[in-house]
This record gives sequence, structure tokens and C-alpha cells, in this order.
Amino acid sequence: MPLFLTQLRFELLKMFARKRTYIGFGAFLLMEVLMLYLCNLSKPKAHLRHLIEQNGYGFDDYFSGVTLAMLILLWTTTLMGSLYLALVSGDLMAKEVEEGTMRMLLCRPISRIRVTLLKYLSAVIYTFSLIGFIGVTALLAGLIDRGYGGLIFIVPEEGIFAVVEPARGLCLYLLGMPLLALSMTTISSIGFLFSCCNMKPAAASIVTLSVIFLDFIFRGIPSFESLHPYFITSHLSAWMHIYEAYPPWWRMIEDYSYLLGLDLTCLILGSAIFLQRDLK
Amino acid sequence: MIRLERLSKVFGSRPALHELSLDIPQGQIFGLLGHNGAGKSTTFGMILGQVHPTTGAAFIRDISVQQHRLRALQGVGAIFETPAFYDYLSGWTNLRIFTSYTRRLPDSELLETVHFVGLEARIHDLVRVYSHGMRQRLALAQALLPRPDLLLLDEPAEGLDPEGIHEMRHLILRLNREHGMTVLLSSHLLSEVEQVCDRIAVLNQGRMIFQGKWTDLTGDTLRYRLDADPWEKAAAVIATRPELSLAPGKILTVAHGHDIADLVTALVQARVKIRAVEPMKQSLEEIYLDLVGSPSAPAPP
Repeated sequence: MPLFLTQLRFELLKMFARKRTYIGFGAFLLMEVLMLYLCNLSKPKAHLRHLIEQNGYGFDDYFSGVTLAMLILLWTTTLMGSLYLALVSGDLMAKEVEEGTMRMLLCRPISRIRVTLLKYLSAVIYTFSLIGFIGVTALLAGLIDRGYGGLIFIVPEEGIFAVVEPARGLCLYLLGMPLLALSMTTISSIGFLFSCCNMKPAAASIVTLSVIFLDFIFRGIPSFESLHPYFITSHLSAWMHIYEAYPPWWRMIEDYSYLLGLDLTCLILGSAIFLQRDLK
Repeated sequence: MIRLERLSKVFGSRPALHELSLDIPQGQIFGLLGHNGAGKSTTFGMILGQVHPTTGAAFIRDISVQQHRLRALQGVGAIFETPAFYDYLSGWTNLRIFTSYTRRLPDSELLETVHFVGLEARIHDLVRVYSHGMRQRLALAQALLPRPDLLLLDEPAEGLDPEGIHEMRHLILRLNREHGMTVLLSSHLLSEVEQVCDRIAVLNQGRMIFQGKWTDLTGDTLRYRLDADPWEKAAAVIATRPELSLAPGKILTVAHGHDIADLVTALVQARVKIRAVEPMKQSLEEIYLDLVGSPSAPAPP
């Protein structure tokens, strides 16, 4: 086990020493600044004021740093997060195979299963790091701009309308981070699966994004409403329900079971594909 | 040390290796000779368990690589034609990463190996700025950690300058003589294989067309380019000796068991001035053609 941890440490070192790993971090930071700026323009601000006040709440009480951070998360993570997670997870195996370092590595007495497990774990850690980074920086940016206050969170398509007092709002926001990261791990898992196949790293990332975007598009077609439980993106939003006054725990368990099952399937399938491959 | 039993590989519909059987004893430097695409790298891949054989099996110390890869690869070091590293990390970190997949090593052991390959001055530089020769040395260092008894070297001299080739050759011989390491080396450079290997196998289009000692390969006859004056008088002397035959371009073939020195003596006695007697080495193409037995045999790719 200690050797496994050493190997995992080196996997993370390899990942975090690459500049492209930080593209996602940098992009989100820029986006947060941009979102803050846009939210402070008169027309968007008026719209947000109207949204909060028409529900009977004070704009200054609830348009707080936490609410702003939540808006940033809500609007950015699913699509932008998918993009950067697909980029990094698509690289995981495929890049090492393409560059030849995988062959160097597999000259050693290490099993391919161990290699895939190490890579997969590093993808999971990256996902949590990225989401953690986005969450904390969005919160800091929001607090600097709007200060501490209550949380108001409205997502009509998920049937969520949550108004929470400041302290509880902050706790729920922080609790939502690992849940969101857990949801987004599915995108990394899909990227990992395609990265194990015989394709270029860019192709693995593009296929991953295509799967997510297609799923998202199909889910939005009214005729396919009866198929919602089968779409991945239907379950990715499970984290949002934590903000409801009475979180639908059973539904959340179902959603996360689906996502974890999918993650495990991607890991097993990816490993099986990689085991069968000739590396030359 | 290495045993290959009827090892074959077909990629899609393209056969890459056909029923290769080899037995490489411990302590030997064995050369695998062949052009690009002859099947050398595929053979290496199968010995390392990176390529799955279509049929046959590879054994290291009588342990099947296909069934017990982890046990078989204990004590094996390998480098490839184009050694790949994490360019954005230092040589030292690369060594740390690669060795961590075998076992945890003390810094002193790493340092010792870095000294052995002569990379101590630049080991903390990023691999990105290494020359090809330095990358090969780093590749050798990672292959030597932690102290293998079998070294697989796929085209180790590829891309090196003459000085680098000389150094690499010297290192391989030292490892074999001083540390008793068994070495399996692949190359398409005849001179490399000739100078370091005890035995060789020649692959052509996935088939082994020769296995044995180098001297067995170069054959019963030796060839020289002769430059003498007057040439007509020299040709007359040569014509009197049945062990010699003359080909266009003043190329002389001496039958096995005879010495070129006898001809030199005879020419001197006949007052022929000898300007040069130059031993001729066969090219890989010529060896292939000789081995496949026909000058019209198809040239390897």
C-alpha cells in the first residue's frame, strides 16, 4: 500500500506539473471575474433584483456573495467543467501511450490494472481539485463583491426554489462542493474510458464531450421526457437538491447510485480495453 | 535467460512475426539484427508483455511473460529506440517516477547509476533540454535501476553521433563483463552488432533467417578490395591460385581456411606493388541476399 501511495503521488505530480492541467483553473478564474462584472452591470442586476424581490425577499439580504457563487457554479460547471475535465481525462492514458512513456512504464513489473487504477484515481483527485478550486474562488470573489448574506437558489427546470439563512447557506454551499465534484467525476470517468481506447488524446476528449453534449441535447427534447432517467445529465444535477428545504434524499441516492455505477463501469471497461491492447 | 517458443504476431491481417524460437543463455550479449519492420520491436514488445502474441510464448528465467508478467519482469531493464520521458520534469524526477513502479530506491543508488552513465552534471535539468545522447543515457540509467540482470536494448545506438555510439558500446560491454548482465540488443547497424554481440539472430519480414555466431554469418569466404600495380601482373598471380576469385571492381574473394597474407607474399615476390588490401564488410542487404540465397530475392522494406 505505501508503494501504491508513492506511485499515486507521482501520478499526481505528472498531472499537476503539466501546464495544460491548469487551463481549467485559469479559465474558471477568468470566467468568475467576468461573471462578477456582468452581474454588476445595471440591466442584469435589475433582472436579479426583480427575480429576488418578486418572491418577497430583500435584494440586499439575499443577493450575497454565497448566492453569487452559487450562480457562477450553476451557470458554468456543467458545460465548462465538462470541457476541462474531458480535456484532462482524455489525456490520461492516451497521452502516455502516444508519447511512448506508457511503454517505458510497462517495462517495469507493474500490472496494467494497477496503472489504470492509479490513472483513474488521479482523474478523480483532479476533478475534486478543480471543483474545489472553482467553489472556493467563486465564494471568495462573491464575498469580496457582495459580502456575507443569505442564499437564494432558483432552478425552475429541476423544481428547486431555495431560500436559506446566511450561516446555513454557507454550510450548504460548502457541502454542495463535494457532491458536485462527485457528479462531475462521471465526466472524468467517461474521458478515462475513451482514453483507454486506441485513439489519440484529442479524439478521446472530443468523444467524451460529444457524449455529454448529445446526452444534454437529447434530454432537452420534449419527446424524450419519458427517457430522462436514462440520460447521464439528468443525474448530474443531483447535487443541487441539497439546497432544498427538504432534500429528496432517496432521489439523490438513486442519482448517485446511477452515477457511481456508471463510473465503475467506465473504470472496469476502460481497464479491460487497456489490458487487451498491444502497446507498440 | 530468455526463451521464445514459436512466437508469432499478426496485426490485423499483417503478419509481423512468424514462429520465432530463440534461446538466449545467461551472461550473453545477443543481437537481433534486421531492417525496420523486420519484427525486432514486436519481439521486444512480446518479451516485455506489451504486445500479446498471436501464438507462442516468451519466457524469462523459465517464467512465462504472458502468464506471470510481474514475476518475469523482476530484474529486467529495457530501453527503446526513441526513449520517451516526461519532458516537463527533470531527469532526476523521471528516474524517481520510473523506479517507483519497481520498488522504492535510496537516492544513493540513483546517484550511483547517474554517475555510471555520466549524467550527473545535468540530471536536475528538465529533460526537454536534453540532447538525444543525454536522453539515451537517461534511458540507460532508468533501465539499470534497480540493478537488473537482463537488459533489453532496442536500437540503443539509434540517432547517436559516433562518439555516443562508442560510449554506448563501451557501456554495454562493461555491464556484461563487470556485472554479468545478459543483454538482448536489437539493431539494424551491422557494425554495432558485430562489435558487441556473442551471438545473433537475423530477422527479415518477420521471419528468422539466421541464428548463430557472427563469424558463421559472414560465411566461409572473406572479401577484400585489392589495389596493386601493375594490375595485369597481379591478376595473373591471382589466376594461378584456386582459393582466390576476382570480381569486377578489383574485389577478391578468399576461400575459407586461406589467408590473404599468402597472396600478399606472392605478389611481393612477383614484384607487384601493393597499394591497398582492404577487407570488405557486407552490408545488411548483402547478408540478407546471401541468407535468402538469391540476388534476386526481394529487398527488405
